[in-house]
Order: sequence, then structure tokens, then C-alpha cells
Amino acid sequence: MTRPFLSIRAVRKAFGAFVAVHDVTIDVPKGEFLTFLGPSGSGKSTTLYAIAGFQDPTSGDVLLEDKSLLSVPSHKRNIGMVFQRYTLFPHLSVAENVAFPLRVRRRPDAEVKRKVADMLALVRLEKFADRYPGALSGGQQQRVALARALAYDPPILLMDEPLSALDKKLRQEIQAEIRRIHRETGVTVLYVTHDQEEALHLSDRIALFKEGRIEQIGTGEDLYLRPASEFVAGFIGNSNFLPAEHLETENGVALVRLADGSLVKGVKATQALGRGQKARLMVRPEAFRLTPMEGNASLAVEIVDTAFFGDRRRVVARTGSGDEIDVRPTSDTAEPGGTDAASGRQIFFDPTTAFLFPV
Amino acid sequence: MLLDYDRLGWLRAALAGFTALITAFLLLPVVFIVLLSFGSSRWLAFPPPGWTLKWYQELLADPAWVEAALTSAKIAAMAAILAVLIGLLASFSLVRGEFRGRQLLRGLLLTPMVLPVVVFAIAIYAFFLRIGLAGTTIGFVIAHTILALPFAIIPIATALEGFDKSIEDAAIVCGASPLQARLRITLPSIRIGIFSAAIFSFLASWDEVVVAIFMASPTLQTLPVKIWGSLRADLSPVVAAASSLLVGLTLCLMIVTALLRRRLSR
Repeated sequence: MTRPFLSIRAVRKAFGAFVAVHDVTIDVPKGEFLTFLGPSGSGKSTTLYAIAGFQDPTSGDVLLEDKSLLSVPSHKRNIGMVFQRYTLFPHLSVAENVAFPLRVRRRPDAEVKRKVADMLALVRLEKFADRYPGALSGGQQQRVALARALAYDPPILLMDEPLSALDKKLRQEIQAEIRRIHRETGVTVLYVTHDQEEALHLSDRIALFKEGRIEQIGTGEDLYLRPASEFVAGFIGNSNFLPAEHLETENGVALVRLADGSLVKGVKATQALGRGQKARLMVRPEAFRLTPMEGNASLAVEIVDTAFFGDRRRVVARTGSGDEIDVRPTSDTAEPGGTDAASGRQIFFDPTTAFLFPV
Repeated sequence: MLLDYDRLGWLRAALAGFTALITAFLLLPVVFIVLLSFGSSRWLAFPPPGWTLKWYQELLADPAWVEAALTSAKIAAMAAILAVLIGLLASFSLVRGEFRGRQLLRGLLLTPMVLPVVVFAIAIYAFFLRIGLAGTTIGFVIAHTILALPFAIIPIATALEGFDKSIEDAAIVCGASPLQARLRITLPSIRIGIFSAAIFSFLASWDEVVVAIFMASPTLQTLPVKIWGSLRADLSPVVAAASSLLVGLTLCLMIVTALLRRRLSR
């Protein structure tokens, strides 16, 4: 068995009676971009702080190349970190901010100078070397913070929601920068965010946290296409959950009855379900079609509203049992029959892309 | 807003007049003293019959006055340094600390500001008499440090509250020890607060007269004590000159503070 680069082993953090992190275990290979995704209070930041050394875990261990980090104080862990808040040193210029970790390590001047120039080139802020943090935009400040965190070639880079204070357009720009920098430096990144799009955009793997535990860990595709639970399906991407009753399962393929009485066969069952057990059928909005294809299941709906978004339409439909569903067919498939508000329409979906979760 | 200045109408003129009156009431005595210190009348007649610098010459030629001014400056400087050092440590524990009685400690440290000075003066004088510190420079410095402490703690604690601790954490992750992070990052970041604390504690000691009167001995007098003593002995324009110098230095320090604050906060 090859030993993992970074190993988080059964880390648990309790604050009094409240357990923020329940025995989280993850192995991270060298060079991976791993994101801790989850709603606030799910334990993702606490886990990150345990690695940074700001919080001592109640139990468990964190190993970097087989050596425990927990007995090493924060300032000797040699870890890079970018914070949620702007943390540039206000009285130092951009260049001196980036130089700071090298200066406390007493590196020779020539090396410091060269490294600072390299790092500012990496984040494309060479021209801002002599500015002070107060004269930079939020996005620029976070890029300098990134340069500072990478200046001493740390084996791991921790990022705690670094883009949450920025507006949406800027966030996407800097996400692209972060991807490029990860590619160019090959540094192992642990990234915390509550934004699923950001996680999907950046990560090699995503660990989805819920109430202090990892609900599922895998690539973005794993989580999106093969969600392990209703929580994962609901958190990653948009989902419709239709009330259903499980009738029978054969070879992992289930037959269900929806609330309006229609039968859907060929659905994937994620867990063993009893006959007649209440369940919810998850269908992605983009899985719906307005024209049937071979093997599709159909659903009788009333179209309540429709809106055009260029590459997509967004249709709000209501099933016979009164459940509103979100339908996003691509524009071209939307044309036949129109999407004007109407009752008595049929919409279709491939049952193998739908998942059945117990209630 | 309940009271909008732009919509006050005639009340606006009344408000301006009232403000001017209060300003005059506060400033005029100072202005008169400064004017009288340049007047040629030995009896402080106003308006002065002529203008002269001789009271200043007399002041600077008298070693007792010069020594009093130097004593004042020395005591104020030492009290300011001590108050800033203690104020820094106290502020860290008051702002960052999580312990029982933190609010109580804050209240205790700020007491000298609200306690009647004469009560404090009598108490510390009685205590210093017993332990032999009355009339000594050390006694003076200790008493003035206590009085100056609130003026040091308030600006430093305020600056520290406004400083995001994540910045210090970032310095620590970067490899600085917690002490290094505080010395190289936190202190320079709150330097405006520290600087204000130094100026205000210097001034708190520089123009303090009540405790100084108790503490003074015939051989150890601060400038305010010397002024007070001279006023009782004979009313000479030299006192006006000394007072003007006192006011002048205070004013200079306030202006320097304002200028530096503006530059540092850019």
C-alpha cells in the first residue's frame, strides 16, 4: 500500500457537549486539489483549522508524509494559508508582504528578492509591488495573499473561503487564476467553500460535509451523477424531489409509483428499500425533455411558467399531485410543442438518470 | 434624521451664535494670558501699553523656572513610556483575554479618570509618605503613570479592537512565532493608537497640578506647581509667559498628533 501524502485520521473536535467534527478520515495524495464543501457549521472550517494548528483536535491525528503535525506549533508547520478575510499586513508594501515569510526564515536578500518577483509574476501583480494593501481591490489583495502563502514553497496550501467576500464575476475570474496556479505549482490544496459551483470548478475531489461528518467524497462527477444520499443530491446542482412509493427492486433497478399514480420503472436504487416504503425520486432539471426518447418515463404536468435564458429555458411545471418541479431543457429541444403555459402536457426523462432515496 | 441641520432655518443662526459664544468662553482666557505675556505692563494691565519679550527673557534666565520645566518634561516622558508599556499589556488582556472579571479589571484600570483627583492625590500622598516615596521623582512618576493609564489604555484598546486577529494568525502561519507576529505585525498595525496613547499620557502628566502639589518638595517642582506657587507669591507677567509656554507645547503636541494620524491612516 502506498502511503498517502497527507492523512487526516479520525479527527474529532468537540466544544463541550457539541461535536463539530465527528471522526473525519481522509487521505490526500500529493498535488491533489481537494475541496471541503458544506453548509456553514458543517465542520469543514474546523477540520481545516486543525490542520493549520489553530485548533487542537479532541482526538485523531493529522500526518504529513507519515509524520504527525499535531505536536508542531502553527508557525513551524510550514503550511501556506489564505484566509476568508483580507489578511495582508497593512503597514507593509505588497512586495514586503510576500517577502515576510522568507524574512522570518532568514533567507538571504538575493533569494528573497528573486522569490518575491517570481511570486508576483505567478499572480500577475508585478506592477503592484510597491503599493500598499489599502490601495488594492479585494481580488488583488487575495491574490497577494496567495503569493505570500506560496512564497516559501509549502507542501500544503490551505484556503478558507478565500473568495467569499468578492462579487460573483470576480470570483469566477480568480477561480480560473487559482486553477492555473495549482496547475503551474503542483501544490497540494485543501480548499473550504460553501459554494458548490466553486467546488465543482476547482476541485479534483470534493468532500461534502454535513453536521461534522463527510457525507460523500469523490470527484465532482461522482457527486453529481452518483449522489450517495438525498443531501448530496440536493446540495450539488439543482434537483427535483418527487414523492414516491417503492414497489420492488430487482438487480438494483427499482419500480416506483409517483404520488399522481404513474409508474416509473428502471430507476436506480441507492439503498435497499422495502416493498411499499415511502421514498423520494430525484430528477435533475436538465434531465427532463419535452419530446420523448426510447425508454423514457413520462409525467403528466401543467406548465405554470416559462422563461428563456439563451442556452436554456426554465420551465416551472406542476404535477398531478401538486408538486412544483423545475425543468430546464436545452433551448432546441424546447421548441416542439412550445412551452407556453398549458395544462395536459407530458414531459419525459431517462429513468436511469433518476435516483431513489428513502425518506 | 430627527434634526436635519439643513432644515433648521433661523435656528441655524442661533446655533452658530451659541457655539461661537461657548468657544469664546473656553478660549478667551487662554488668549488673554498669551497676550498679557507679551504686554509691557508689570501689573498685567489690559490692553497692554506696549509689547515686549522681557518676561520670556526673565523666565529663561531664572534657573528655578527652567529646572521646573525640565522636571515636568522628564516626569511626563517617563510616565508616558510606562503608561504605554503597561497600557499595551493591559489592552491585550482586556481585548483578547477570556477570563472572569475582565470587565471589572477594565473598570479598575480606568478608575483614575473618574475618581476625583484630590481623593487620589491624598490617598497616594499618604501612602508614599509612609513608604518614603513622597517628594521623589520615582513617586512622581508612579503617581502620574497611574493617572495617565486610562489615557493610554483607551486608544490602544480601541486600535486593537479594530485590528483583525486573522492578520496576526496569517503572520503565524507564515512562520512567525506568536511573539514575532505581535512585534512585527500587530504593533505596527496599531501604531496610531500607541502614538495617541503616548501623547495623551504625556499631556496627562505634563499639565497635572493637583497630585503634583502634594508630591512636590522645595527641590522637586513641576512647571504647573511652580506656576501655582508663583501666582500665590506675586502676580508677575513671568507667570503668564510660563503659562503660554505650557499651552504652546500642548498645542504643538496636539497638532503633531493630528498630522501624524492623518499620514499614518492613509
